[in-house]
Amino acid sequence: MRTNVITSEEREKAFAPTKKPDVIERQKLDVRYHVEDYDVDNRPRRFLEAFAAILKHTNYRLALEHFIRVSTKCSRCAVQCPIYQATGDEHDIPCYRSELLLSVYRRHFTVGGSIKGRLTGSGHLTDEKIEEMAESFWNCTACRRCTLECPAGIDHALITHLGRFILSEIGISPRALVVSTREQLEGKTGNTSAIPLPALVDTLEFLEEDIKEEKGVDIKFPLDKENCEFIFIPAVSDFLMEAETLMGIAAVFKATGGSWTISTENYDAINYGLFYSDRILERVIRKLYAESERLNATNILIGECGHASRSAKYYVPVHCGGEKAKPVLNIMEYTYRMLKEGKLKLNPNVITETVTYHDPCNIARQGWIIEQPRYIIKAFCKNFVEMTPRGTENICCGGGGGTVSIDEIRPYRTLVGGKAKGDQIRATGAKYLIAPCANCKKQLRELVEDQKIDCEVVGLHDLIYKAIILDDGQTENQKTNRKG
Amino acid sequence: MQELLDFARGPLFRLSFIIMILGLIRIFILDVYNAIKAYKRAGDKRLAWGDAIIKTLRWIFPIRSAFTRRPIYSVVSILFHIGLILVPIFLLAHIQLWKSGIGISWWSLPNNWADMLTLMTIAGALALFLGRIGNKGARMLSRKQDYLWPLLLILPFISGYFCANTVLSPQAYQFTMLIHVLSGELILSLLPFTKIAHCVLVPLSQFIIALAWKFPAHVDDEICASLNKKGAPV
Repeated sequence: MRTNVITSEEREKAFAPTKKPDVIERQKLDVRYHVEDYDVDNRPRRFLEAFAAILKHTNYRLALEHFIRVSTKCSRCAVQCPIYQATGDEHDIPCYRSELLLSVYRRHFTVGGSIKGRLTGSGHLTDEKIEEMAESFWNCTACRRCTLECPAGIDHALITHLGRFILSEIGISPRALVVSTREQLEGKTGNTSAIPLPALVDTLEFLEEDIKEEKGVDIKFPLDKENCEFIFIPAVSDFLMEAETLMGIAAVFKATGGSWTISTENYDAINYGLFYSDRILERVIRKLYAESERLNATNILIGECGHASRSAKYYVPVHCGGEKAKPVLNIMEYTYRMLKEGKLKLNPNVITETVTYHDPCNIARQGWIIEQPRYIIKAFCKNFVEMTPRGTENICCGGGGGTVSIDEIRPYRTLVGGKAKGDQIRATGAKYLIAPCANCKKQLRELVEDQKIDCEVVGLHDLIYKAIILDDGQTENQKTNRKG
Repeated sequence: MQELLDFARGPLFRLSFIIMILGLIRIFILDVYNAIKAYKRAGDKRLAWGDAIIKTLRWIFPIRSAFTRRPIYSVVSILFHIGLILVPIFLLAHIQLWKSGIGISWWSLPNNWADMLTLMTIAGALALFLGRIGNKGARMLSRKQDYLWPLLLILPFISGYFCANTVLSPQAYQFTMLIHVLSGELILSLLPFTKIAHCVLVPLSQFIIALAWKFPAHVDDEICASLNKKGAPV
């Protein structure tokens, strides 16, 4: 098995403890991510109760029954796992990780397993096993690459997803995700970054002025307009960190005359439920959909964000009426369509540097959004280089599965999770690394900094903003030249 | 010895064959039953059928993916499976048994091909066994059955090869044939209860994954009710 293992120095840095010994003692949990204090009594019993309740009301039993029968333990998945390739530790092989939960299922929820367990008095769930799961399931970035390789067709990411869900029901989830979600669902601001509405309005006005200054065109960010074709909801962090992406999107709507609006009551598509709890996933989806109903928008348009797009695209129909639910699109699908229809003009002489594209796992793995962004990029970037592998087989940025929001594990993310990605980026020698995903952007910026790679991480619409031709057929460069 | 052999070839074979067939039907139907139940509960009933079918074919005939990663392992594993499936079903001697027993027959492999496939299967099983022992990751994952299966699987192949290709004394022949028949029957009857169940379940994998990601619509309410968490903060 080919492994490209990190050095011992990097290992020390990546796995450095992040908690004080008294916290570990109190929480009985030696993991690197922080957890809010929770009830530590009877963890195995409560874990099994949660597991049983989840099995009763969901479809996971189908997969678990199938997986325990077909698993052949061949370890092929190891070659696809960027985490295992970086650590070389057998505990990180996807099939080993899955077996942690499958063994609990077999022992406690199948007839054969429980008879055997009772006869031999072994194999029951212990505190140690729960601790191992808490560590292991959050070492995984849920990139689903192993699923492509398993000859038996086991979806290890589904098991990680379920494992995290059960752990969250007994109070073991990264604090960073729980606190943000609490603000989003129960807080005053209603979004994960706790941005109050006045601040949002200020930001958008500021962006409008910027566009006016740079492009000489009046572009509005329409707020709370009813009956639009699109309700646009990005990851809320974009309003703080990705001004250029938002300006690019506004410019695309201006150029194509699209009818769109941003809601003042829900401007956050982030859905951490996808990473740790199906219950949370459902609540966030319902909240998002209610807003699209209030404004009577025809389609739900998600910004440059992988997990927000995937959760909305696949779980709006699940929770909001199946086939009849409003269609969900990613912004790149809209821009692609407009470009194909000739409604969007991009100047091919603005971006001359080498550009590469990172496929976010959540939109690429299932083959949903792969060629659309490439079509757009090739329309105006002369120097486009691909990473290998790409598309459905892309390598994760290293911060997938919600781990990017856990700041205390940054060295782990950039040195272990992002090891393979770093090598890939370096090999392209690109100046611009396009990553159309709020998660990937944050992770990749930290990664290029920590791994000392010389390139700039941008969104796709950041570059479109630079090259877009508005109204009078002038690009930014032409305007500045004239001014100069 | 002859009586024992007759017993093994007669009632014992019928028993193990029935165990295998009923066992495989049981697990297949259980899987399909679970899938239908899950489909009825799914909040979104649109499944990407075409995608699942293409993936299933790609998984059963892994021609494209075989040579990109771990090519030696892949090729050995594919050759091993080809022999393992073809020889027992299409060996002329086996077909003749079916014909004399219940009067049905089908196309058979030329004997020299069958010999070659038999040797290939034996070599493949040994290579997979050694590969498992020699690989740290695989050793970590392996259960007892993972080591025992390749060894058990080659028993009927080795004994069958000897019976067909060497001149043995009548006693030695009967003994070898007995090993051949008994080990084959052991395999048949264990098949549905062990990991070899994948022989009928793998074609369902891609559909099951697609379906498992389709959640039911009201998990939040129902799980909260079950766990007494109604109204509890996030």
